[in-house]
Amino acid sequence: MELRYLFKKTKSVPGSDSPKNEDQGPQTPQGLFHKCTKCGETIFSEELKRNLFVCPQCGGYFRMYAGTRIDSILDDGSFEEWDSDIKEMNPLKTPGYEDKLERLREKTSLDEAVVTGKGLVNGYPACLGVMDCRFMMASMGSVVGEKITRMFERATEEKLPVIIFTASGGARMQEGIISLMQMAKTSASIKRHSDAGLLYITVLTDPTTGGVTASFAMLGDIILAEPGALIGFAGPRVIEQTIGQKLPEGFQRSEFLLEHGFVDDIVTRTDMKDYLTDILKFHADKSAFKPEKADKIKLPKRSGKLTPWDKVMISRGKDRPVAEDYIKELFPDFIEFHGDRYVKDDKAIMGGIATFAGKAVTVIAESKGHDTKENIDRNFGMPSPDGYRKALRLMKQAEKFGRPVICFVDTPGAYCGLEAEERGQGEAIARNLYEMSALKVPVLSIIISEAGSGGALAVAVSDEVWMLENAIYAILSPEGYASILWKDSKRASEAAAEMKLTAEDMKDKKIVEKIIAEPENLCKDNIETVVMQLREGISGFIGNNQGFDGEELAKKRYDRYRSY
Amino acid sequence: MIKKVLIANRGEIAVRIIRACREMGIETVAVCSEADRNALHAMLADHTICIGPAPSSESYLNINRIISATMTSGADAIHPGFGFLSEDARFARICERCNITFIGPTSAMIAASGNKAQAKKTMMDAGVPTIPGSAEAARTVEDGLRLADIATYPVMIKAALGGGGKGMRVARTKDVFQQAFLTAQQEAKNAFGDGSMYIEHYVEHPKHIEVQILADKFGNVVHLGERDCSIQRNHQKLVEETPCEALSAEKRKEICEAAVKAAKAVNYENAGTVEFLLEPSGNFYFMEMNTRIQVEHPITEWVTGIDLIKEQIKIASGEKLGFTQEDVEIKGHSIEVRINAEDAENKFRPCPGKINLAYLPGGQGVRIDSAVYSGLEIPPFYDSMLAKLSVWAPTREEAIKKAQSALGEVIITGIKTNIDYQYGIITSPEFVAGNTDIDFIEKFSRK
Repeated sequence: MELRYLFKKTKSVPGSDSPKNEDQGPQTPQGLFHKCTKCGETIFSEELKRNLFVCPQCGGYFRMYAGTRIDSILDDGSFEEWDSDIKEMNPLKTPGYEDKLERLREKTSLDEAVVTGKGLVNGYPACLGVMDCRFMMASMGSVVGEKITRMFERATEEKLPVIIFTASGGARMQEGIISLMQMAKTSASIKRHSDAGLLYITVLTDPTTGGVTASFAMLGDIILAEPGALIGFAGPRVIEQTIGQKLPEGFQRSEFLLEHGFVDDIVTRTDMKDYLTDILKFHADKSAFKPEKADKIKLPKRSGKLTPWDKVMISRGKDRPVAEDYIKELFPDFIEFHGDRYVKDDKAIMGGIATFAGKAVTVIAESKGHDTKENIDRNFGMPSPDGYRKALRLMKQAEKFGRPVICFVDTPGAYCGLEAEERGQGEAIARNLYEMSALKVPVLSIIISEAGSGGALAVAVSDEVWMLENAIYAILSPEGYASILWKDSKRASEAAAEMKLTAEDMKDKKIVEKIIAEPENLCKDNIETVVMQLREGISGFIGNNQGFDGEELAKKRYDRYRSY
Repeated sequence: MIKKVLIANRGEIAVRIIRACREMGIETVAVCSEADRNALHAMLADHTICIGPAPSSESYLNINRIISATMTSGADAIHPGFGFLSEDARFARICERCNITFIGPTSAMIAASGNKAQAKKTMMDAGVPTIPGSAEAARTVEDGLRLADIATYPVMIKAALGGGGKGMRVARTKDVFQQAFLTAQQEAKNAFGDGSMYIEHYVEHPKHIEVQILADKFGNVVHLGERDCSIQRNHQKLVEETPCEALSAEKRKEICEAAVKAAKAVNYENAGTVEFLLEPSGNFYFMEMNTRIQVEHPITEWVTGIDLIKEQIKIASGEKLGFTQEDVEIKGHSIEVRINAEDAENKFRPCPGKINLAYLPGGQGVRIDSAVYSGLEIPPFYDSMLAKLSVWAPTREEAIKKAQSALGEVIITGIKTNIDYQYGIITSPEFVAGNTDIDFIEKFSRK
């Protein structure tokens, strides 16, 4: 017989069997636990709240109440709410609509589906709009549209940036065509705000759909998203019914939008406030350029005489630093933005904002990888049209905010492929030459390794072009040259000499202004001397161009290219 | 009064709690993992609920399952034992919210003690001695010298961003401070890219002394004397005794009163332990407060005659302490030896497996707290402690003899244990002479 049956059990003390008072006994109070809709785990509500409503088990995002969101973004006590008393319309005279809104107001303590106002984000003033799905699925009726519009009008007047956390089922059916007009109204107010040179950031949260996506959600200068949020115009169910197909996993989620070029970055809730602070900081002060006095640079010893073909091989060397390495050194606070807002995020071009000696700058780089894996990801530094369109988008953004543009050029050439042609590779390159020629901000391009043809020129129509000592710049590869002219690509080394593609050749022809000296076998470990020359040079470049207005800069650039 | 207690633990402590409850007429609910269906606690309790698979995270550490088991069983209190969820403030908080009596301090106290920096500051403010040293970091030798004077020599210089022993140096006197500082700082710069250094008093060859506290919900706090737990391997205590013979009556009073002060500073309630480091000079410093019942509590029970588990239950039920400090009388000497399933010859690797035979001694002044029996399979998932042997005798000498005699009788076959290693410790001349400090095992192992 098992031990468990042999042990004598407890003799309870008298009176202990008396019926329990139900109120006093253990019980789980309402709301003590939440069940995660993603992983099904039971979560202690207090912990969920501390974790900003992200499931501690699976990392799934719960939808956030507007009040909680505001508390998580704005400095304590800094929020000033605006327009909480706008009366709704019932244009279609929908029966029961007013009653429904009244009940929701009571239940949620919200006056409508969006809360607007202004406050401080780590000390930086901004207007903030936050949508709350509990109120009619945060659909956009006249009050939502009006609150958003008034916020933009007031932000324009007070010269303030705007941040909106979107979440919406779309237009409010009960308000019919008036609801549709809110899309146009809000967009128009954003246009005015933008034309005044002011910053607008949207943060897309789960779910952002319909008329909100098709208006103010997608109009941010910078569009961020929370991980895993559903973002789209038509809802997935509607699409499935229409096309009669099952949608792939992850369709219309934040990550899908990032890949397809519509979102600048995906930011977690924990990082959100700091991330927004950085962006606001980069846009807060336009005249904070304070260059430090540079140390005397000890220039590296010139390497022995190299043939042009040697330089071709060096420029393609596998240990040669890539754009990312220079960005890390020169712009440690660089924030990368993604996507062309049309088709995809092309990783062969990297772009974003940073500060240089206190001055905000836009950095754009043709990006090769460090190894084969990274290179496959970055398509060996050969941009697609989407990459050039991303670069142009970021340049136009720089122009709006008066930021100098620094480009790193490093590409064997624009990507040659089916999709590239389908999406207009030629058009994309041409558009960049056209727009860059008249950008109203200083533009500097630095050829760090290979600058192949139109693919390089598409980010090198600039006020100044510099070249690293062993970089090359040519109309096509020496292999291509040899095979076109001599029908023999093996004569590439001969072609290299004939093509006059070295930095010195470029300097002779006044194609480049400056040659950056390189140490022998330039690699990540001895990048410092190159970085120091670039730092000093960029500092000089920004300083020298500060005095010119946009028109003058464009005129100078026109003259520069007019001379060839 | 509590009527039914769920014990959120396993092993000998679960058995210990079941026994205390049974004596008080309180029903017991054991929880067990799938690997523990035949464990003694699971068989001894009035009710047993299997709460999940063997890994602790899915059973003994799974708050949701333990709360569910409590609700289902109708228990009105949880005793967390030690280890597992005993010092998890979140668990205590959930119990509070669910109206389950947590037999221990409140969640807020657990959280406060868990924050070491905050706890140190609270103790400093309350006048409990802490290791001298400042929160300020030094970047230059001059700053360092100034801070070292405050901390008093010998001092430990350590990198603010440090870890892994890099950027750490001891300076015994002012003369060698500069060199030690610069060397440590250079190491810190190389390793962490930062030369900010903390200067703290270096506590050399201390004893680990802890004071047992009981506090009720009405602000009454008493101490039950100290325990000397200096014999440790990798922070794992092996042999404990009380009283500590190195303390004079005066010093004992001072250290015990400091512990009461510490408990009062955080409005402590239930059983707790305040840990100190005692220097040969007689100076002692607060280390931390343990907000749970300790493994070594039997030796305090031996010398005071107070059942600590029962007191915990009474305090949690809202009763006032039934005695005052004056009523507490420390009598005789007690020693505890922990018996673990580990291979002392092989880096103390845990040795789970089936126990063929367990013979555990008894006799006057001998107590065994254990959950093993012949034929039990020790699962590999949990702590390797099998049993605690504790003895009492009027004097330390007699207690040592009794411990040697009793440990010599313990027989556990089928798995490897540390019995012989422990026997070596309690028969060593150093231990018998009372020459123990926290470096004892290091020296003992070298022999």
